[in-house]
Amino acid sequence: MMKKLEKEDIQGLLVRGYGNLPTARYLLYTGTEPEMTLGFLRTILPKITPASEKPESVAFQVAFTHPGLAFLQLPEVVLDSFSREFKEGMNDIHRQLILGDTGEHAAHHWNWGNEPVHFLLLVYAKDEQQLEERISWLKSLAQTHAVQLKQALPTGLLYGKKEHFGFRDDISRPIIRELADSPELDPETSFPAGEFIMGYKNLYDEFAPAPTVPKELDPENKLPPHPDEQEQRDLGKNGCYLVFRQMEQRVSDFWQYMKTKAGDADAAIALASKMVGRWPDGSPLTRCPVKPDPSLSDANDFGFWEEDKAGLKCPIGAHIRRTNPRDHLVTERTQKDSREMAAKHRMLRKGRPYGPPLSPELDPHTLLQRTEDGEERGLHFICLVTDIRRQFEFVQNNWVNFHKFGGLENDSDPIIGNHYQNERRKTDSFSIPEYPVRKVLTDLPNFTRLKGGAYFFFPGIRALHYLLANG
Amino acid sequence: MSTVHKGLTVTVRLDEKNIPYVNGLLSEYRKDLKIYQETYRKSLSTTFFISWLTLPEQQYAGKERLPARILLLSSYVGSKAAHLRELVAFLGPQLRQVFSQSPEFPTGETDEQELIRFLQRKSIPNTFYSGFKFITTREADREAALKAAVLDYLQAAPDINSDSNPSEVKEKIERYVKNHPKLHWASRGIPFSFRNKLQMLAPLVVFSLVMIASIGSLIALFFSDAAVFQWLAWIFPAFVLTLLLLFLLLRLNENNPHEPSDPLPDEKVREIVALETNPVINEMTVIAPLKKGWIRRVFLAVTLKLVGLVAYFAYIPTVHTARWLQMDRGKRLVFIANFDNLSEAYAHDFVDSERRSMNMAVIFSHAFGFPATRWLVHKLYNHRSEYMKGVRAHQKITQFWYSYNRDLSVENLKRNRAFREGLFKEMDTSAIREWLLRI
Ligand code: HEM
Repeated sequence: MMKKLEKEDIQGLLVRGYGNLPTARYLLYTGTEPEMTLGFLRTILPKITPASEKPESVAFQVAFTHPGLAFLQLPEVVLDSFSREFKEGMNDIHRQLILGDTGEHAAHHWNWGNEPVHFLLLVYAKDEQQLEERISWLKSLAQTHAVQLKQALPTGLLYGKKEHFGFRDDISRPIIRELADSPELDPETSFPAGEFIMGYKNLYDEFAPAPTVPKELDPENKLPPHPDEQEQRDLGKNGCYLVFRQMEQRVSDFWQYMKTKAGDADAAIALASKMVGRWPDGSPLTRCPVKPDPSLSDANDFGFWEEDKAGLKCPIGAHIRRTNPRDHLVTERTQKDSREMAAKHRMLRKGRPYGPPLSPELDPHTLLQRTEDGEERGLHFICLVTDIRRQFEFVQNNWVNFHKFGGLENDSDPIIGNHYQNERRKTDSFSIPEYPVRKVLTDLPNFTRLKGGAYFFFPGIRALHYLLANG
Repeated sequence: MSTVHKGLTVTVRLDEKNIPYVNGLLSEYRKDLKIYQETYRKSLSTTFFISWLTLPEQQYAGKERLPARILLLSSYVGSKAAHLRELVAFLGPQLRQVFSQSPEFPTGETDEQELIRFLQRKSIPNTFYSGFKFITTREADREAALKAAVLDYLQAAPDINSDSNPSEVKEKIERYVKNHPKLHWASRGIPFSFRNKLQMLAPLVVFSLVMIASIGSLIALFFSDAAVFQWLAWIFPAFVLTLLLLFLLLRLNENNPHEPSDPLPDEKVREIVALETNPVINEMTVIAPLKKGWIRRVFLAVTLKLVGLVAYFAYIPTVHTARWLQMDRGKRLVFIANFDNLSEAYAHDFVDSERRSMNMAVIFSHAFGFPATRWLVHKLYNHRSEYMKGVRAHQKITQFWYSYNRDLSVENLKRNRAFREGLFKEMDTSAIREWLLRI
């Protein structure tokens, strides 16, 4: 029996991307005085958009880092009940190793996130004017509450739902079963809510791990009871973790590399598509390996086990095959095991691009002609998960950056992997299986670079009330 | 020559107060290893992995104290005698220094022979798994170099392209290998491969033959009452009855209330994972006392024997070698694994698939703190995250860890071997195409 989602208690981003609100800004704050910061947040609280509403003009969402919750003077036992990776933070030295954030991706190079930020406000609006109004309101509010705006990260949706390299993005999305209208659900693309929202059962048929509050610290019963532990209340219910990584994209380097390695424009585009696993229009290589098929640009009902085990169509190391191997993991012996494994490591991607496109329509033929224009652009990668380690970190570590993924030797993800060589490892190759022998591209530069990042707790509305009432 | 992979496990008691000193020694050796890695590789040609650690006292059944110990666990290839000789010849001083801290170490001077005998005496059986069977240390290097050379050759060969006929491509590769002075060795095929497989399968073959003979004798008793049939006929029913009885007794034991073990504090987990800095292969040691009741000890012992019989067919993705064993009269379960990438990723191999988490229960459900079961594999409640917690709760820091291989994943090793096996072998066109994809 599926449990109904408490949409009025869930922040809206968990169930929608606010595509109808195309302008957005991500604001990173630190407080200077806890009580004043609480005052700031309490003023915003009524504006936080729940999933039960579909706003037409603006939406606000809020998330906290662990230092942020500590700053708000959450009791130690509660702070301690969060997951280890959230407590340590993305810039923790060991976590950087796990995530492959070394070399030019290392936290000491970041614009933000290495110094603690306390909370993140995501503000979405119908148009620039609406957004500016809200931003200036926030500005004065912050001033009166001595809250410092550390970064105001701009976003901008791109032509044709593309990302800056010129590829259609946001095609493959896990569906939350409890939200689906149709009772006929594909088990491969639909997931129990607990994979993404705390307080519900996950794929292991367990309640997702969540932060807790001892009963006595919630005398007014603001929080729901914990489903497994009688003495605890559930601070996680209807919330999740939010992983944020600001990734600069070096678009001109990307296309210049393709041109140098492939020769003509069509071959360069084919090569870049091999790296992504889809053609620029989104059509999957597994379905149309020779040329793009616009009728398949939304296609997501494919697998690799039957259709392309050897990676002759979509290379084993392609971005979409690493981040979601679907039904084929080279190290598994059956399709069923592969499928079960892959399903345990999914995430809800909610990020948006930022910076001006290198060419307005992002047509790869035009991008190939363009030279560097000195502008910074990239993706604010955001994903929502209930288990940072099992979902985001596992993918980033074991599939994206591990250079031995899928029997490969020196390859990390061609698009987002950290590419380098030293005496202990070499991660800058990309192998394309072909007859009679695989093609190996070497010396891949980093096409993306990490500019900032942090782990946030994205609470449910009741939890938010609890957090802000304390202090 | 045997190329079967095996595990050597040597363990002796240690006074708990000597643990810090021994840990200090082992950590020093670990540091040395960073400098002398190549010397280790050259001097330890039968050795793939060594884990060397101290284990503090543990509580069994809530009251009995299990002693502190030193454990030396190696994964080697070939004969045990040769492996021991090699260990003592190269690591003699370190072995003496560490093991002499144990009251079980002989007093006075120990020469090499004596040290070998000591290790021999203190070694205990284990159930061993290897993910890259029948490959020696030398072959691991040579096969990687062979495949790399062939890849370079194919990529540079002007007359090999997508229109080339697969058989011709294969012939060209074989000619290249045969004529290359450094690769010529690969044209001779893999020595002793059949004999080694047979050696590994022998216990299973013997076991199966005895069971078949017993069933045959049961039938034969209808026609003849020869004494040999009468004797043999007992074996199979006795085996089945024993298993049934063990299952029943286990079921009774499973009714004991479940006692969860305390989760490992974050700092301890951090200490353990901080050691996992190797780019390709890492190690994990889990040592837990068993749940109380003699049936747990007996049941696990029987299980480990049976698992050992079928180890040839077992498959654990991303694992180079692993072993399970019991110590202290069966009261402690030891599990160590050498695997690709990090323990966090590796642990998921077990719990993400329904089938494998069931397999895991067969062994781990007997250990203290691991989730309760019904009829061994059926979960009483949802327990995958409990397994992850259980593993971490009993994970130990391995003070010294050596790996011969540093750059080859188990999948790399297997592919290199599969490529070599295909050389000079008759294949049809589609098999050749498959084979070429392994390069
Ligand atoms: C600048 C950085 C990135 C770019 C340009 C990028 C680009 C893309 C593109 C073009 C797709 C195909 C569209 C689709 O299938 O929906 C895709 C899919 C995907 N990406 Fe990324 N991505 C980036 C960062 C990341 C990161 C950091 C992760 C997580 C570690 C990630 C995980 C995924 C996943 C899970 C998919 C869906 C795969 C599938 O289900 O088939 N991406 N990405």
